[in-house]
Amino acid sequence: MTELVNLTINDRPVSVPKGTLVVDAAEKVNIEIPVFCSHPKLDPVACCRMCLVEISGPRGPMMQTACSVPVAEGMVVRTDTPQVKATQEANLAFILLNHPLDCPICDKGGECPLQDQTMRFGPGISQLVEAKRRKKKHYMISDTIVLDQERCVVCWRCIRYLEEWEDKPQLALFERGGETIIDIQDGKPVDAKTSGNIIDLCPVGALTNRVSRFSYRPWEIERTASVCNHCSVGCNMRLDTRTHQLRRIVGRENMMVNDQWLCDKGRFAHGWVNHEERLTMPMVRKNGELVGATWAEALQVVKEKLDAVKSSSGANAIGGIGSAKLSNESNYLFQRFMREIIGTNNIDHRDGADVAALPTGLPALADVMKPQYGPNPKVDTIFLFGVDPSEELPVLDVHLKRAVRRGKAKLIIAHPREVELTRYDGPYLSYKPGTEVTLLNGLTKAALALSSEKPAELQQWVADVNKDALTNFCGVDANAVDAAAKLLVESKSALIVYGPLAARGENGEQVVNALTNLALLTGHYDRLAFVGLEANSQGARDMGVLPNRLPGHQSAESVDARQRLERMWNCTLPKQAGKSYKQMLNSAGKETKALYIMGANPATERPGWAEGLDKLDFLVVQDLFLTETAQLADVVLPALGWSESDGTFTNLERRVQRAPKALRDPDSKAAPDWMILDHLAGRFGTNWSYANEKAITVEITKAAPIYSGLTWDAIGDQGLQWDAAKVRPKPVYREAEQRLVSTENQPYALVSGTVLFDGGNLFHLTTKMQEMAFGAKVGINPEDAAKLKVADGATVKVANRNGELKLTAKLDTQVQQGTIWIPESLPGAPVGALLNGRAVEYVRVEPVK
Amino acid sequence: MMLSEAVRTEIKKWMDLYPAGRQRSAILPALYVIQREFGYCPVDAQNELATMLELEPAEVGAVVGFYNMFHEEPKGEYHVEVCTNVPCMLRGANKCMHHLEEKLGIHHGETTADGKYTLDHMECLGSCGTAPMVSVTRRKTAEIRYFEELQSEADVDQFLKVIKSGNAFKTLERWTPKGDPKGEGKAAGPYTVGGMEQRYLTGRVGKENSHTIESYMADGGYETARQVLTTMQPAAVIDQVKNSGLRGRGGAGFPTGTKWGFLAPALPHYLVVNADESEPGTFKDRIIMEYDPHQLIEGVIISAFAIQSEQAFVYIRGEYYFAFTRLIGAIEEAKAKGFLGKNIFGTGKNLELVIHRGAGAYECGEETALLTSLEGYRGHPRMKPPFPAVEGLYAKPTIVNNAESISNIPHIMRYGVDWYKKLGTEQSSGMRVFCLSGNVKRPGLYELPHGTTLRDLIYQYGGGPQDDNAPIKAICPGGISMKLLKPDQIDTKLSFEDVQAAGSLLGSAGIFVIDERASMVEVARRTLSFYREESCGKCTPCREGTGWLETILERIEAGNGRMQDLELMEHISKFIERKTFCVFGDAAVWGLQSNLAKFRGEFISLIEKTNPTSEGPVIPIRPIYRPDSGQPSKLTSSTLKPVGESPLNRDTMVAADD
Repeated sequence: MTELVNLTINDRPVSVPKGTLVVDAAEKVNIEIPVFCSHPKLDPVACCRMCLVEISGPRGPMMQTACSVPVAEGMVVRTDTPQVKATQEANLAFILLNHPLDCPICDKGGECPLQDQTMRFGPGISQLVEAKRRKKKHYMISDTIVLDQERCVVCWRCIRYLEEWEDKPQLALFERGGETIIDIQDGKPVDAKTSGNIIDLCPVGALTNRVSRFSYRPWEIERTASVCNHCSVGCNMRLDTRTHQLRRIVGRENMMVNDQWLCDKGRFAHGWVNHEERLTMPMVRKNGELVGATWAEALQVVKEKLDAVKSSSGANAIGGIGSAKLSNESNYLFQRFMREIIGTNNIDHRDGADVAALPTGLPALADVMKPQYGPNPKVDTIFLFGVDPSEELPVLDVHLKRAVRRGKAKLIIAHPREVELTRYDGPYLSYKPGTEVTLLNGLTKAALALSSEKPAELQQWVADVNKDALTNFCGVDANAVDAAAKLLVESKSALIVYGPLAARGENGEQVVNALTNLALLTGHYDRLAFVGLEANSQGARDMGVLPNRLPGHQSAESVDARQRLERMWNCTLPKQAGKSYKQMLNSAGKETKALYIMGANPATERPGWAEGLDKLDFLVVQDLFLTETAQLADVVLPALGWSESDGTFTNLERRVQRAPKALRDPDSKAAPDWMILDHLAGRFGTNWSYANEKAITVEITKAAPIYSGLTWDAIGDQGLQWDAAKVRPKPVYREAEQRLVSTENQPYALVSGTVLFDGGNLFHLTTKMQEMAFGAKVGINPEDAAKLKVADGATVKVANRNGELKLTAKLDTQVQQGTIWIPESLPGAPVGALLNGRAVEYVRVEPVK
Repeated sequence: MMLSEAVRTEIKKWMDLYPAGRQRSAILPALYVIQREFGYCPVDAQNELATMLELEPAEVGAVVGFYNMFHEEPKGEYHVEVCTNVPCMLRGANKCMHHLEEKLGIHHGETTADGKYTLDHMECLGSCGTAPMVSVTRRKTAEIRYFEELQSEADVDQFLKVIKSGNAFKTLERWTPKGDPKGEGKAAGPYTVGGMEQRYLTGRVGKENSHTIESYMADGGYETARQVLTTMQPAAVIDQVKNSGLRGRGGAGFPTGTKWGFLAPALPHYLVVNADESEPGTFKDRIIMEYDPHQLIEGVIISAFAIQSEQAFVYIRGEYYFAFTRLIGAIEEAKAKGFLGKNIFGTGKNLELVIHRGAGAYECGEETALLTSLEGYRGHPRMKPPFPAVEGLYAKPTIVNNAESISNIPHIMRYGVDWYKKLGTEQSSGMRVFCLSGNVKRPGLYELPHGTTLRDLIYQYGGGPQDDNAPIKAICPGGISMKLLKPDQIDTKLSFEDVQAAGSLLGSAGIFVIDERASMVEVARRTLSFYREESCGKCTPCREGTGWLETILERIEAGNGRMQDLELMEHISKFIERKTFCVFGDAAVWGLQSNLAKFRGEFISLIEKTNPTSEGPVIPIRPIYRPDSGQPSKLTSSTLKPVGESPLNRDTMVAADD
């Protein structure tokens, strides 16, 4: 129980926990103390002097800043004396002295604390009869943020955010005295991945959103509480819309998820929503060309063609590919359609069954969060295995930085690249792709040496991992392995997180076995977590968009589970598991004759797949855009996506959150996924007749027992987690076997992965951000580049037995020697052409003259 | 790569001086190295330094921008800076500046076409007793030398001759026209020092080679330190200092021993000597460091022993380059003798002493700003509590004492509490080095017991008013921050309590005398120019208010003053005083407040003479928002109500956002 302190503010008694600042105590009793520099998420600096109040002291009442003084027992605070009021007036006069008062053309106008406080507390007159000071106006400090120094009141909020949360002080005060300005170092724009938060924090119009500038006035917009659709953190946000267009996105507080932060992709990359290239009507291929059609015509073609394939080649010749970018409702209905109406378990999504995922996600994001006011994170050690939060989950990255710097948490990182978080103290294990199992077994061996528990079989399995294997095979520092094992053994509560990079493909199962052994031995099994990277990676699995899992992670081969759903859906379900994403695409045009693809674009991943898709008897693509895959389709169904249709998303900690409809283009004929599927089911003679998305959510709570009770009313605007204990696999030690890694005589290990600013439609259609995109590049260690005689920006050929790519070299110290880095989803750089479906490949790099 | 291997090695050497993990502290010395290499701090070099110190480039740029002595553009081969602050102004600094402008053919702020000379204004350089003066920085070596007592045009010409002759940097010791009639660049030796018969703090100034360790030890130097370290316990030293009643000589006058007693027990402890002597009118620490540096070092040794610190810093202002070199030399000597470093005096105690050079920021004289600066940041003050004694340098318990305070310590330990208390008054024990400047016949340093009257100081020691026909009009008793006294207060005793009773503060004992020839409006304007220039920019009232006051005063001087400006200035001052983050705000307006109160007639008569109808200036409208942007606005301030009640009805509250 925290100690309470009693004080009075304007004679009103207040009881608040010890350590509370006077300004926050006043808020408790609805007494407003005006502030500019003070912010509940930042350390106090007491520089704006707006919050001066009278606080009684040994020498009588003293003017003190309410934002920096903690409460004390018996303290007497007055905010309503003539002296306080006169000071507020005078101070606002100082703040406004050189402020340009260009409110009519300022984005902040209408929601500006400076305006509001001037009206409430200001002098109402300017005594200045001289010229105002001129400073630099509206210039870009990054591709997304515009700074106006004249409007700035030098409150330091932006500086403090970048320093205290991002640990990237890229904005600073320059000059001094009256000339003091906030600026970047010349030629060094802000590149912190969550820099946009400083726009939300700015109490004036100094920092504005370049993507949204001049496209809204605060009193004209409609505000919808939603969640982000870019990555699996599921940050809470507010969508500001007007005239059927998404005008702006700002952060929304959820202390269990994102505090109130958003990453720059989430905040700015929404150009796709109202993009002119959006599909607005169904299309059907006629004489080899896709032409516009009515819904009735398009749906009838889909029905007839799927029927034809089913009767000629059987239901299992048809496959369905869902998407972890889409809502639970879309995915649930899609798998129901495939299983119930088509009658196949051939249903999966990218990084679905091809990744050895644990079903439960993170225990809780709040366990790693260190808010401004609150205890240290619950976990004391965080082990990131094949995850790079800075590029993949930026707001988790912010939480982790904060946990390390202020929450005393320790960090262990195992990643083929020296990712950004390695700048903090803590063991860094730079393994080569394909050597994960040896590394993990090495960790387990080191942990066994320190642990009191020594299971004999485990000892035997990891016995032959020696220093030589770690150093030469894995490429890691054996001392770092010992240090990491020590941290894990000593930790009271460690979080072990692995991502798709570590658990994809042929090695996946073994990696998970090895991770399980390590987590079990060190006592952290409950906190061993797989994180998917898409907004609904967790939800797509929960909904059963997997060839071997029904909704709620029930086995597709379990009779009980199947019969339960058969009763509910009133149908007969297929008995054996279906094909995975990779299997369906690999067999496209062979045993797979028809595919129904919803929200996925596999044609860009690998040239071979594009060819296969072209050979299909029938391809139907349901998407927002005429993607490379849709261009191969026989029927294209225009969908409405996030922000246009309602739905729930489940984030990486199993929190089910709602992203409601915020807008809809009245001219578009596109329809939400559920409605398309519902109508299609009708054509097949099945009458689902859902009234709306909400009805589907209700059905999910019944079909997937883990979602029981998670209705819209229950999840509200902060979401609710489902209970991981219900599906967590039983902890068992299993032998983890290292498969041989074949280099095929190629010198460089190919590392793939995800970058935040990739080439996907959801990013690159925001034109103002295009400069930020990673581009068709290959990351090369500078030492390797020197050996190859390759300069930064030069064109190189990257090739192996599967294919070759021409890319621009990017010298990057994060890339380890002997490896090269080609992220996924880059336009013109389908890394799948080199990987060809495998997780590990070796390549050669040649300069192109 | 801009930074050569040699430069990097040199920077790394500086980095090694600071405790492990605190390499950021080396940012100022590193920037000095860079500036010496390039003549300024190029952005690319800043960025490379950022990489060396593991910082973001903006963090280095922010520091460069804060400190006056780092340039973002190249300066001339000789950077000539004229102090025009009030004590120099009173003795003809403006004339000196004008003559230099004529001779060099450039305005201040400009560089000659041949790139040889850059001429600039400068704030107080600690030569008030030898005003007017210029400081010259030679770009090639980044050395700085002071050229003082440039009272006539002939003096200025002689100074220029020395510069042109190439002899100007043969030595770095100060130069005067009288001391070097042949123009060979000869050193002038220490400036006027006087006072009581037996002097302690300044007693050795003027002796030949007084700065060397041999000379110091010949006078019994370091014996006290040896005695204390070998025979006493730290607590006993603290007690003795407490009992002596020594009060801080930096300005606030806080009892030194009491401050030491506040130190949190957790080790390490740091001792930081505040030698950032920047208060206009003050030039006492300079002479101690230039001519008796070992006295300060001995004080440091005893003080560090008392507070159990093994690492001490002297934060010296950047302009004191000669004092800096003397201190560096003295530390080397003391190290060689085993008085600093490991196992000092064979007692098993260790003490490292690092001289940290500031870079031109008055604000860094404030103790928390000084610590922030020493840590390698912009010199912004920080919140108290925690006080430095609990969380100071690198968030460790730290004692910050003025250089003169520390120099008192060896004498207190040597001669004892009783002796010390006999000097001075009940509440202000001991002697004080009074800095006398302005319109007196013999400006200089006078070491006298506390309690000496202003009259004695000015007439007996200073020789009375500079011009017999111009009586004294005002006296500033404690540096430019302090409130002015009128001549009828001349019998005020110079002690903390007596000056306070007279309505001002003794401050740093920088006393300057203003005679009838000076304009009080100009004094006020120049004072505010200083505070506008030196405001750190952290908090609103000071950042905006000082500049505003300066503009109003400039307007009054220019003949556009309005009567209501006087109330307006009082209004602005009232809301700077005690409303700012640190005491700088008080300091910025006390002078003006007392000036307006005591010499209001001068302001009124100037306004009546130049602008009898109190016509307001034309209100400038931001041109870019008007089609007729070239035309002046027809609006005048007379349409606006004067200071007072707000015309807005406060009852019309705007509802809070939901």
